[in-house]
Amino acid sequence: MSSNPLPSNTSRFEGCTLTGALSITTSVTGSVSIVHGPSGCAHHNFSLLHATALEHDGVDAPSIISSCLSENEIIFGGEAALERALARAASLNPACIFVLSTCIAETIGDDAGAVCRVDWGVPVIPVQTGGFLGGVFDKGVNNALCTIADTAAPSTRQGTVNIIGEKNLEYEVEENHAELSRLLSALGLSVNIRFVHHVSPDEIAVLGRASLNVLRDEGQNPVGDHLRARFGTAYLPSFPSGLFCTLQFLKNVAAVCGVPSHPAVTMEQAVQEEVLAEFSDLAHTRIALNGAGLAGSSCGIAREVAGALTMKVSPRGCRVPLPVSPPVGTAGIRRMLHRWRRMINA
Amino acid sequence: MKQIALYGKGGIGKSTTSANLSAALSMQGLDVLQIGCDPKRDSTRMLMHGSFIPTVMDLVRERGDAQVTREDIVHSGFNGVRCVEAGGPEPGVGCAGRGIIATFQLLEKFGALSGDVIVYDVLGDVVCGGFAMPMREGYAQEVYLVTSGEIMSLYAANNICKAIRRLSQRSKSTCRLAGVICNAKNMPREDELVGEFARRVNSRLVQYIPRDRCVQVAEMHKQTVIEYAPDSEQAERYRTLALRVMENSAFTIPTPLDINELESLALEYF
Repeated sequence: MSSNPLPSNTSRFEGCTLTGALSITTSVTGSVSIVHGPSGCAHHNFSLLHATALEHDGVDAPSIISSCLSENEIIFGGEAALERALARAASLNPACIFVLSTCIAETIGDDAGAVCRVDWGVPVIPVQTGGFLGGVFDKGVNNALCTIADTAAPSTRQGTVNIIGEKNLEYEVEENHAELSRLLSALGLSVNIRFVHHVSPDEIAVLGRASLNVLRDEGQNPVGDHLRARFGTAYLPSFPSGLFCTLQFLKNVAAVCGVPSHPAVTMEQAVQEEVLAEFSDLAHTRIALNGAGLAGSSCGIAREVAGALTMKVSPRGCRVPLPVSPPVGTAGIRRMLHRWRRMINA
Repeated sequence: MKQIALYGKGGIGKSTTSANLSAALSMQGLDVLQIGCDPKRDSTRMLMHGSFIPTVMDLVRERGDAQVTREDIVHSGFNGVRCVEAGGPEPGVGCAGRGIIATFQLLEKFGALSGDVIVYDVLGDVVCGGFAMPMREGYAQEVYLVTSGEIMSLYAANNICKAIRRLSQRSKSTCRLAGVICNAKNMPREDELVGEFARRVNSRLVQYIPRDRCVQVAEMHKQTVIEYAPDSEQAERYRTLALRVMENSAFTIPTPLDINELESLALEYF
């Protein structure tokens, strides 16, 4: 056991490809995800996704079926077990079925792709997710997004914006989306689809209609590239974060979509000033940034906000929490400042 | 109980040597168990007069492990030699190495690993941990390499030396190289070459078995040489091998050669 308790000192801190892919596929409404491997791989992920959904007040358990490989399937091959799982999944009459591989299925060389190509009466989409191949959680997310994107056909652009790769397991997924929608609507733009957050295969079919894809963060650039190659859609590599960058985000979106940015930027500057005024009681407070090694990318934003409020960052200051992911938009900064105030006034 | 394993390149004659060795050992009055650890399942065929016995893996696949009994998998062949074939998955699917591990677990469960001598006849290349199973603790402590003087055969034998050396470094490991058996292709100076190879890997040539037509004739009659032509010179060679195996106590940790050393050795005797 590591003597240093930081999560970043834990093996596979970056997680498993399978879990990342399931966080996406289980968010396609009406679908079933088959985990082709021992039942433990499915159970472990089911538990994680279910627990997270409950934290988010979700009531639906993720729709996951295991092909339940045991020792005999490992020796004799697991393709027949996958066929049984597919037959069971197809009998549930889902909108589509995802087949996700595991370490052991990849090790023994099961050809899941060939089993999926059989006509099962519903679309069956294989996603390669063997964790031992070196990919991490984010790689699973990206693999799933690219694979699902390939089910949509290119179409005429209609001046809308796609939200790409929302982190379905993060706490503020809905708050972040609401903020992004608010910023886009200030530019007169609307969201085409949330790819993939509680969307159906029918909605995914119109993925190519957007004029712009906004990625959740830079780790999804391979997805942005994939979508640009398939649909010709430009992308911005991350949600806006920080005072300056949120204003810049509005300008960047406006430039790509060919709409004027000035009114929205002016309006947002006023919103930011209101937020800073709301927390003016924190001026001159000494704070220490406490991210437990997880929130490096939030540090710069925190310093920018502290500077705007004339707070002092010092190791001897009051330890305030940093969000694991950088706060999204002006609303994200407001939530961060609320948490800081609670710590400072505690 | 003596447990020995024969390893070597595919097609080099491990099964022929194993079957004749088991037959010769049984003629000494010993209770012998031969286990074929190759999905090809033909290790014990000559001991069984040409019949392919059901393999452990076939039975498990067809019935499930719970329905398989000791009697289903252990078959009595020539002179009471007990024969087992591990078998494996259909070619091209699954994991044959895991099949070997599962077979050993089942044999352990049945208490079938008993008698005076157990002869493990193992797939030529130790391609994964499963095929190293017979070398692990509790199984074969004495490994014999079967090789001809051909370079690819020596190369495979040398690779097995690497596996033995690696396994021998583990705590509690008792696996050792017991010797080299030259199953000859009748190349010039083949006995000298294989003898020198054995010496350089820190072992010795235990028996030289020249290529002899009577092996093929015996196999055409679905018998071992020991059974078909007991008075032949070849049968005598197998009997000598059996005596030497039982008397052998020179077990070593091998010193495998690097490829350049191996090739220049072969060139010296070419």
